[in-house]
Amino acid sequence: MSDESKRAENSPAESAPSSARLLANCSSLLRSLQNADGGWAFHAGEQSRVEPTCWALRALSNSDLAAGHQTFRKTIDFLHASQLADGSWPAAAQVNAGSWVTSLACSALSINRQSAKNVQAGLKWICEDFPRDSSPFRRFVQRLRPKSETVSQNDSYRGWGWTPRTASWVEPTAFALMALQAADPELLPKNAAQRRKLAIALLYDRMCPGGGWNCGNPRVYGVDGDPLVLPTCWALLALHGHEAQGDEGHGDDAQNDVPVKPGRALSLAWLQKEFAKIQSPGSLAAARMTLENYGVLPHEVPYEAHDEVHAASATRRLHDWTAHEFAEQGTHVLAWASMALNPSRRWPAISAPATTITSTASAAESRQGALP
Amino acid sequence: MSQRNRELIPSFSRPPSRVMIRKVARYEEDLLALIYESLREFELPVKDKTILLKPNLVGLDPQGVMNTHPAVIAATRESFLKLGASRVLIGDGPAMDRDTQAILESVRLKEFTGNLGKDFCDLNIDDVARVQLETRATRLKELFLPKTVLGVDFLVSMPKLKTHHWAGVTLSLKNMFGIVPGSCYGWPKNVLHWAGIDRSILDINAASRPDFAIVDGILGMEGNGPIQGTPKAAGVLLFGSDPVAVDATACRVMGLLPEKVNYLARAGTMLGHLEVSKIQQLGESIASVQTQFAVLPEFSRLLAS
Repeated sequence: MSDESKRAENSPAESAPSSARLLANCSSLLRSLQNADGGWAFHAGEQSRVEPTCWALRALSNSDLAAGHQTFRKTIDFLHASQLADGSWPAAAQVNAGSWVTSLACSALSINRQSAKNVQAGLKWICEDFPRDSSPFRRFVQRLRPKSETVSQNDSYRGWGWTPRTASWVEPTAFALMALQAADPELLPKNAAQRRKLAIALLYDRMCPGGGWNCGNPRVYGVDGDPLVLPTCWALLALHGHEAQGDEGHGDDAQNDVPVKPGRALSLAWLQKEFAKIQSPGSLAAARMTLENYGVLPHEVPYEAHDEVHAASATRRLHDWTAHEFAEQGTHVLAWASMALNPSRRWPAISAPATTITSTASAAESRQGALP
Repeated sequence: MSQRNRELIPSFSRPPSRVMIRKVARYEEDLLALIYESLREFELPVKDKTILLKPNLVGLDPQGVMNTHPAVIAATRESFLKLGASRVLIGDGPAMDRDTQAILESVRLKEFTGNLGKDFCDLNIDDVARVQLETRATRLKELFLPKTVLGVDFLVSMPKLKTHHWAGVTLSLKNMFGIVPGSCYGWPKNVLHWAGIDRSILDINAASRPDFAIVDGILGMEGNGPIQGTPKAAGVLLFGSDPVAVDATACRVMGLLPEKVNYLARAGTMLGHLEVSKIQQLGESIASVQTQFAVLPEFSRLLAS
């Protein structure tokens, strides 16, 4: 794309018309990238994979993709055909074992009534997939050992891993929670409520001390972990949905008694502050969707010089990139940008603005009630 | 690369390996001239070949402490092009953060290399192919690895000189963890931890067989590496065709005993040379550049003195 056409696509001000134009370009490009088998690859010309297909379906469902449309039908067919006999979905076609993308597939297919059986089988697999690190036997063995000083975490909480029989991590746990939330309640396995409580407790347990999440290491060798944008976004989106369902993360036993709202507000404040420093479109799109989901209107304001700590940073906007540049970074990034640019998206829904906070809002301010 | 899975040669029947140490005090020096001259010494078969540089891009790093420095990456890329390579790709699959672009922005790679376009490959989301693990150091029978890694003619591991809180040190062999795709195995690639980090390092390297290693030790990291450690200036670049020999030499530069690093000790029996007597030293001597790196108490056994 020439500089001139890029300038035309991306006007200086992120006005509604320019957003609509960029969104239209993203949607058009996304549709053109669909493979003949109905799926999407991470990049043009590559093999269809479940993850980019799920994000593409999400993005196009938010815009102009009617249920009867051929693109929609082909996508659904691809996802149905990709499902393994045990109800899970593999990360790539050659892989014959389920993985974290099962949660993405269940969430994406929940919009389609004809996929109920597929979703039900996927949710059953999810709820039967327990991480290995927190099994009763391992916890018993751990109790016999000297207390570990390398990490500080509560192994009685159980979320989900990236692959079966590994450990709980923040992002797959958040995606599984979102899948449970998106599903028709009648499709949920019996233990779904208990899994949800344990998983929410795990998310708070793995939160970084100053708010936000990384992959799931809040403290290693006595050093606080630094939060990252994407895990924080997925965790916040998962928690927001479950709180809306009245699930506060308080389990049946005292171990699950975790401070839900303060931790969430602290993390939201961290994300709001971090927003102005984000330099990549993927994180920017996810952060924007998350903040808007909480009713916070992010200010994509120019960098302010008084923020001495981050003097080298400058604010980026989604309009700094073209649809093709999103796609170069992966179909998932193109899809996230499409979703973030869409003011009428169904997921993650935009909440009514509760307040508008600039990028310099502090965690202290959020704790004082500025955030919902 | 790994699909041809070059034969594993027992250490005793291998010819000696050559490792070059070059002193470099600062990233602002003429790295292109230095790296080009160093690579020429090795007479590498790279003319008209496709090269993949695999740096260590582990996280957001505006200070340039935890990742392979972009100046080293850019100068290496230029050097291989000058040596006649037809194409030099750069690729990595960061282990903890899936936003690879954010990491690239934080290290300002584009300022050093120019716009890479499709010459940068996010290995986390590349197409994958099944690779049977012949060595079976772990219980894993197979791994799904990026087709880009498997398809290039010449693979270069470009780690940062760092200690590692689980493995002891992270150098050119451990750096190859980054070729395992996050889209299949997650962020982090936890299945490798459960299979055993030391053993996984062996399986991954036996499968991918890096052809060359360049260690960025101009500014390294000691203590609680590979992310939260302390910057440590060592002022060196290391080069060599045998990653085991390069890593062993790097350990000695760090004042650590390579034979006490579990995975290196075992790699020395099947992937390359560990012993000083089997390594021909080029450039500077180890003694002239040696600087003691601090390690966590769990790895005090690695200390030479």
